[in-house]
Amino acid sequence: MSNNEGATMEVELTPEQKQAEERRILTEDLNRNVKFLERGIAASEVHYIHRALRTVLALRKRLQPEVLAEIIAGYASPSNQKTVSDCLSSILEALGQQRPAASSTAKVCEPEVCMYFGLLAQLFLLDAKEFERGAQLSNVLVAMVSSTQRRTLDSVVSRVFFYYSRFFEVSGHLSDARTLLLNALQTATLANMKETKAMLLTLLLRNYMHYKLYDQAERLAAKTTFPADAPNNLLARYLYYMGRIEAIQLNYSQAQMHLLEATRKAPSNAATAGFQQMVHKIYVIVELLMGNIPERSIFRVPILKKPLQPYFELTQAVRVGDLAQFQDVVRRYQEKFLEDQVLVLVQRLRHNVIKAGIRSISIAYSRISLRDICIKLHLDSEEDAEYIVAKAIRDGVIDANIDHEKGYVKSAEIHNVYATSEPQHAFDRRITFCLNLYNESVKSMRYPGGDHRKELAYADEAIKREREYAHELENEDFDDDVDGDAMDQDL
Amino acid sequence: MSATSSAQQMASLYESTRAALNASNPDLETVRSRLSQLKVGLVQITAQSAQVARDSAFQLLKRSILEMGAELSIKTGDIAGFERYLAQLESFYFDNQLGLSESKVMYPLIGLNLLRMLSENLIADFHTTLERIGLDQLQNNQFIVHPVKLEQALMEGSYKKVWQARSEVPTPEYLFFMDILMTTIRNEVASCAEKSYTGLPFADAKTVLFFTSMDELLNFSKERQWIVSPSEKRITFPKNVENTRLFQGENIMKQNLAYAQELERIV
Repeated sequence: MSNNEGATMEVELTPEQKQAEERRILTEDLNRNVKFLERGIAASEVHYIHRALRTVLALRKRLQPEVLAEIIAGYASPSNQKTVSDCLSSILEALGQQRPAASSTAKVCEPEVCMYFGLLAQLFLLDAKEFERGAQLSNVLVAMVSSTQRRTLDSVVSRVFFYYSRFFEVSGHLSDARTLLLNALQTATLANMKETKAMLLTLLLRNYMHYKLYDQAERLAAKTTFPADAPNNLLARYLYYMGRIEAIQLNYSQAQMHLLEATRKAPSNAATAGFQQMVHKIYVIVELLMGNIPERSIFRVPILKKPLQPYFELTQAVRVGDLAQFQDVVRRYQEKFLEDQVLVLVQRLRHNVIKAGIRSISIAYSRISLRDICIKLHLDSEEDAEYIVAKAIRDGVIDANIDHEKGYVKSAEIHNVYATSEPQHAFDRRITFCLNLYNESVKSMRYPGGDHRKELAYADEAIKREREYAHELENEDFDDDVDGDAMDQDL
Repeated sequence: MSATSSAQQMASLYESTRAALNASNPDLETVRSRLSQLKVGLVQITAQSAQVARDSAFQLLKRSILEMGAELSIKTGDIAGFERYLAQLESFYFDNQLGLSESKVMYPLIGLNLLRMLSENLIADFHTTLERIGLDQLQNNQFIVHPVKLEQALMEGSYKKVWQARSEVPTPEYLFFMDILMTTIRNEVASCAEKSYTGLPFADAKTVLFFTSMDELLNFSKERQWIVSPSEKRITFPKNVENTRLFQGENIMKQNLAYAQELERIV
């Protein structure tokens, strides 16, 4: 029914009317969001502000500078703070709009609202590919942040910083943004702006990794703590960067843990596909480097199947322990691995292939001559085979003995794992995981102070609002990651 | 004295020092004292005039001086010094913001540094450095390929290949670190041998551990506390009895108490 109505209405509207309608809706949406912001500031409740920000990316697609300018004009009050009014006029300038005369009927503009307009302007400039002007505007916005520090600014500012860095990245001189980001990190830490701090840390890690400064990135991460209650999207990104750094520095168990957590924290929907693909690629390699074989189910997920094909073949080669097949895969997909910046990691897998080969030989044969091992694994010489097997024995890959004089390897009896304390350890790990999960979920529950009592009186309205809110959440929650995703894809 | 003129003086001092170092039989002491003069000069000029310090000719001179310092420390066997010079050179090699032309000794020095990391078993640093080198150089530059191949051989345990790599060094400077690496490998092989053999005849042990004389082997065996029996001409490795107690009571108690505590919090 309603669909039909919509269709007939569309037919009746002339293009001009349609445009006017779009503008009206946009104006309404913007005004509503600004109201949320102001309500959030008045009650110092962050979740109103989050609500205003949630729709930012949906608005992005239909943003019109004229409409934005019109609304900004409504906030050009003479009693605005100087920084705010300066900031508003540079937003208008960047959008190429007229600066309105200050009128006494206009509302006073809060810094948060001003930042929100700035954020929208940044998005518009980014989409219009006006990188030069965007970078200039971002500089103004960021300068304003350092002069105003309010807790309610936190979420808005963190997004402003994101696009600040993005502008530098697309115009190709990301390293210029570093100094300011570092200074801002210091300020954010001192002012306890958690979301901004989390954002700045991820941006800086990304910045360092862009120039392959893994040392610096690692040192930064070691000297700072990532805020515990940062949004999941940021946490996922942070974990991914950490995982990458640790993988390069051979800290595989940490890397595996971080990457696994990143796959779990990242929202799983089509908008974050690029991020998930990238995380899984690294995760597969780290698993292989640790001597584990990643689960088959990873390669079956629809969004992962195709991009992970090279990694799937790699896994097969490592699992079988076939050196020739491994080298073939590396040669065929060299370009792809290079693009994903994992080629060096992949090349480290060579000795894992050999280890896997030795392990399967030791399981299959109770006694085998070194010469046969050499032939089976395509090794260069018998002497090398002996050293390799000796090393595998010392590293605990296999349990065997070498008889040097007679030139054979003798596998030891296989122990019964259940007679050792191994199951106990595995059990303990799982219990600890469950208990931590429980504790974390208890910690993350929210109890809004006192507010709900007022709302009890208007229970009906509150329920309706909640429903609306839930609906919004469903639709827009993950939009937040679209850009982050784009960033990770071109990484 | 203006910064510009002292920079010119330094350039000529550098040339003469360079010549002294390149001489067939260099007087390392003289080179060292001149080098420290040059380093003091560098600091003075940077402090005197920021403009001259930013000048690309001066930066080029600075790079050459640091490179010379690195070479000298290899010649004198000063590993800590070499590490310091390379740390300073890193900003020239990987973060080239001034657009200086690529240094001729860049890859040999990076290769040497990689080798140093291997010999000191700093594998994480080794890989971090590798990440910053372009793929083309990684596969084709002989100075880089050598340490990369070595690392692969080390990781998989082809110690024979490592031993052979000693005769395939791209420049004689590499031998300095290769010798250190050999000691590391010998210890690696020894610890592998302890685990995987019950015993070895003298002759075999000698080849396995890359020794050239019997005395070296015997001394080494004494250091590692192996049982040597001259009559059988055989080394036996002491089996260390592993402490695998199946039931670790204390551990289980601790775990159970922790669970109880957590459960109590939930209920």
